[in-house]
Amino acid sequence: MSERERAAATVAVPKGRRFPPWPQAGRAQRGLGAEESRRERKRRERLEERDAAIPVELYGLKRGTIPLLTACCVLFAVFTLIPIVWIVINSTKTQANIFQSFGFWFARPFEFFHTFGNLFRDVDGDGTYSHWFYNTVLYSVVAGVGATVLAALGGYGFARFEFRGSRLFFAVIIAGLLVPITLVAVPLYLVYAKVHLINSIWGMIMPSMVTPVGLYLMRTYVELSIPRELLDAARIDGASEVRIFFRVALPLMVPGLMTVLLLSIAGTWNNYILPLIIFSTNNLFPTTVGMGLWLQHAGNSGDTNLFPLLVMGGLITIIPMIALFALLQRYWRGGLLLGSVAN
Amino acid sequence: MSSTTEVIAPARRETAARRAPGRRRSAYARRRGRSGLAFVTPFMIVYTLFMVVPLIYAIYQSLYTTKLIGGTTFSGFANYSTVLKSGPFWGGVIRVVIFGGIQIPVMLAIAFFFATTFDLGVAKWGRVFRAIYFVPFAVPIVVSSVMWGFLFDPNYGPFNRLMNSIGFHNFNWLSGNLMVPSIIIIAIWEWTGYNCIILYTALKSVPRDLIEAAILDDTPLWKIILRIKLPLVRPAIIMLIFINTIGAMQLFIEPTILNSYQAGVVTNTYTPVIDIYNTAISNGEYQLGAAMAVVLAFVIIAISVTSLAFRNRRREFG
Amino acid sequence: MSAITLEKLTKVFATGVTAVSALDLEVADGEFVVLVGPSGCGKTTALRMVAGLESITSGSVAFDGRVVNNVSPRSRDVAMVFQNYALYPHLTVYQNIGFALENKKVHKDERHRRIVATASIVGLSEMLTRKPRQLSGGQRQRVAMARAIVREPSVFLMDEPLSNLDAKLRVQMRAEVLRVHQSVGAATLYVTHDQTEAMTMGDRVAVMRDGVLQQYGTPRSLYERPANLFVATFIGSPEMNLYEAGVSSDGSLALGSQRLEMPEAGTRLAGHQGRKVIVGIRPEDLTTASAGARGTLTADMRLVEMLGDEQHAYFSIDATPFGGAGTAGQDEGLLATGVPNGVARVDSRVPVRAGERLSFTVDTARLHFFDPDSGLAIGR
Repeated sequence: MSERERAAATVAVPKGRRFPPWPQAGRAQRGLGAEESRRERKRRERLEERDAAIPVELYGLKRGTIPLLTACCVLFAVFTLIPIVWIVINSTKTQANIFQSFGFWFARPFEFFHTFGNLFRDVDGDGTYSHWFYNTVLYSVVAGVGATVLAALGGYGFARFEFRGSRLFFAVIIAGLLVPITLVAVPLYLVYAKVHLINSIWGMIMPSMVTPVGLYLMRTYVELSIPRELLDAARIDGASEVRIFFRVALPLMVPGLMTVLLLSIAGTWNNYILPLIIFSTNNLFPTTVGMGLWLQHAGNSGDTNLFPLLVMGGLITIIPMIALFALLQRYWRGGLLLGSVAN
Repeated sequence: MSSTTEVIAPARRETAARRAPGRRRSAYARRRGRSGLAFVTPFMIVYTLFMVVPLIYAIYQSLYTTKLIGGTTFSGFANYSTVLKSGPFWGGVIRVVIFGGIQIPVMLAIAFFFATTFDLGVAKWGRVFRAIYFVPFAVPIVVSSVMWGFLFDPNYGPFNRLMNSIGFHNFNWLSGNLMVPSIIIIAIWEWTGYNCIILYTALKSVPRDLIEAAILDDTPLWKIILRIKLPLVRPAIIMLIFINTIGAMQLFIEPTILNSYQAGVVTNTYTPVIDIYNTAISNGEYQLGAAMAVVLAFVIIAISVTSLAFRNRRREFG
Repeated sequence: MSAITLEKLTKVFATGVTAVSALDLEVADGEFVVLVGPSGCGKTTALRMVAGLESITSGSVAFDGRVVNNVSPRSRDVAMVFQNYALYPHLTVYQNIGFALENKKVHKDERHRRIVATASIVGLSEMLTRKPRQLSGGQRQRVAMARAIVREPSVFLMDEPLSNLDAKLRVQMRAEVLRVHQSVGAATLYVTHDQTEAMTMGDRVAVMRDGVLQQYGTPRSLYERPANLFVATFIGSPEMNLYEAGVSSDGSLALGSQRLEMPEAGTRLAGHQGRKVIVGIRPEDLTTASAGARGTLTADMRLVEMLGDEQHAYFSIDATPFGGAGTAGQDEGLLATGVPNGVARVDSRVPVRAGERLSFTVDTARLHFFDPDSGLAIGR
């Protein structure tokens, strides 16, 4: 052994006694066994959650409070689901039945697939729903991803760097929340008219990538989840800023990214005013504008079979969003709006 | 050799110049700052192009008037004076203020009620309910307006039929008097879930031992909720009031869609944004529309700020 | 009647973890009892069961003989000081202290009198209009105590109230807490992980580990007569030195290559002749002596830490330290290079240097013996 090693060895102080394994209450039960299955993990998490919450008995509630409150919750749940149930049921009806039969139960004939097929045809000269749907997906995904990228970069920059004007810039961005949509959409239309961006896909996508809320969320998330020391350590190791961003910061930002992605996709998916203003050709419409158009025409003219399509179209529009939220639910960090990384 | 001295010298000069305004920053820190700027630039560019530029353009346009004869001339505040004197416009403003004034507190109260219920765990199946309540958030406003339009439809909608069957003949949810209340119902449907989740998250972040201390002090539940939890989630409530107010003032889609179910009630100036859209797009008077939008922006700011101040003061006493 | 009686108190969480197992404890009226143990030993859970904040799986908690298992924490008349103080951030110190009194509908004048009196007991009379965020850690801790005191409860519970304070403040606050306890006089159950706090503050101390009570007694009895290996090493700093030793037929102790005569072997180690025991020597029971004298241990000094009033001399003797061969860093190769396996507290005036060979006198009366299989103390 070298001198150094010997010197190092001599200063070691004995650590960690081992005690004979006489019966111990806690550890035996804690059974560190094989890896738990997903279901077991969920069950354990749920029990831990219950242990972590204050037991209801301590609140001193009168008898019957819990059933009463549960009933209130049920009532509101019914209220929430009424339109959903309605739209599911009525998407299976003919136009006549939509108007005449009882709204909350089925009626023959069962026209679901027939109506569904019509979505792929240009029924009224206003355009094809399936095309609109494709547009919606295109705009939402591209704008959503783009918005997330911009927000991630920007949030990271604002949160972990100091530069001249950073506070001013951030304030200006947040002030953008106060601006009514029309104050931006209308002049945007005029500007587009000058640069021939009317009826351009990018004319719709680019403005949708601007999310002050997304930037705010990402900045909050970075501030809370990426310690400065981590970045400084990487810098000392000689990594470039770009590399640090992709290797160190980005993996830690994932839940925040998912939240912003979700919100941006949903925001663009549901957007009505902007595409209404900047698009004049039918086959560029997203579903929102298309359905609005259908509704107008259906209300005016008499003999169209648009209503089942309208109902069906509404249903189809909803489903992907609900699925998306359900899928990305575990990344959702609603607490970000409040400045915490909680769910 | 000479090149390095040339490189070093300017840097030192720069540093000296930087020191003059009283802010010492090493070259390293400034390089870091520049990286930060680089990260932020993409967002700033898109933001400027698609938000700031249109905004400025709108304000610029609002100072002009285009006539069929005479072309475009600088008209200063003429458009603004038109807007300020426009009865229908302000009628629309009052309408959305009333709309928001009723919808927002009611919705927040409901959201807080359920958020508290979930947070305390005093109802069963909390998770299921939370998921259900969040569904409307995934529904585009156009679609929800269409759905509710069908439900409220004066001739064929199930709700009207229900009212008729219990004796209120010729009941019309979308009549002139009931249109705004019906829209309030729709808005509550759309937004309560979202607000509820935000409040629920805020409530859960109240430290547990605070509540346990209150329990040991034999604090009744109502007091725990109103005197401990509510004050501690005030920042969240303020933020929600803010966001909801901005949204309520810009009411557009619901009335526009409902117009197809019940013609005549929703006028061209029913809400400020409808008025703006009508003026700028349908009538082509985009300069006047721009002025309207600017005025609306100021109204929104004014109302947001006063509602925050109002809330602040009330909470001090509450 | 004891103020607090715990009988076979057990807590099993829904996840299956047993936090507390059959705890028996009693606190007399006005007594200050400390529950001490490493993190996760169940002490806080036990305290919360006494408060009523955790449900009891089995066993009982009784106040003055009256079982309170099913009594709501609201009615148990206990006050608790939380580790993070649990102060209401939006209320002033005055309102924080008075909160409980408001609940009991105490009249405003009476409330005011009591708040002011309590504030002066804890030394916060100047701070009554401030909010918690304007206070230092020590001041917040005092508000938490005031809030508990003002209720004049019959039982006082404290959950590691000093853990969040810095070291110096902690020492000051120990005296404060005791002073307050004396003026208030209620039975107090105090939880901590710091054995120094336990020894200096408790009338009696209960040592817990993994949910099981190890020993319950006065600080002196815990120090002089630890019931098992865990208590022996938990109490006292630096830790007790432990070695494997053999008991020879004549009662003397074989410690590695050295022998220790044991005059009282007959009584203490009776029945262990020819067997192995664990011997424990507290660092403070080793005094430097002249070499070769009877009843001494010779050791090689490895490292000396100078603390000012005393030195800690780390040494090796060629006995097997408890922990056994195969413990990290203890295998023969490293033993040869001189990893220390013991420490002695030596007066700073005695010259000790690393590399020297010194002899220590061992007071065999103060040796501790433990059974190697069960860990229990022998011969007390």
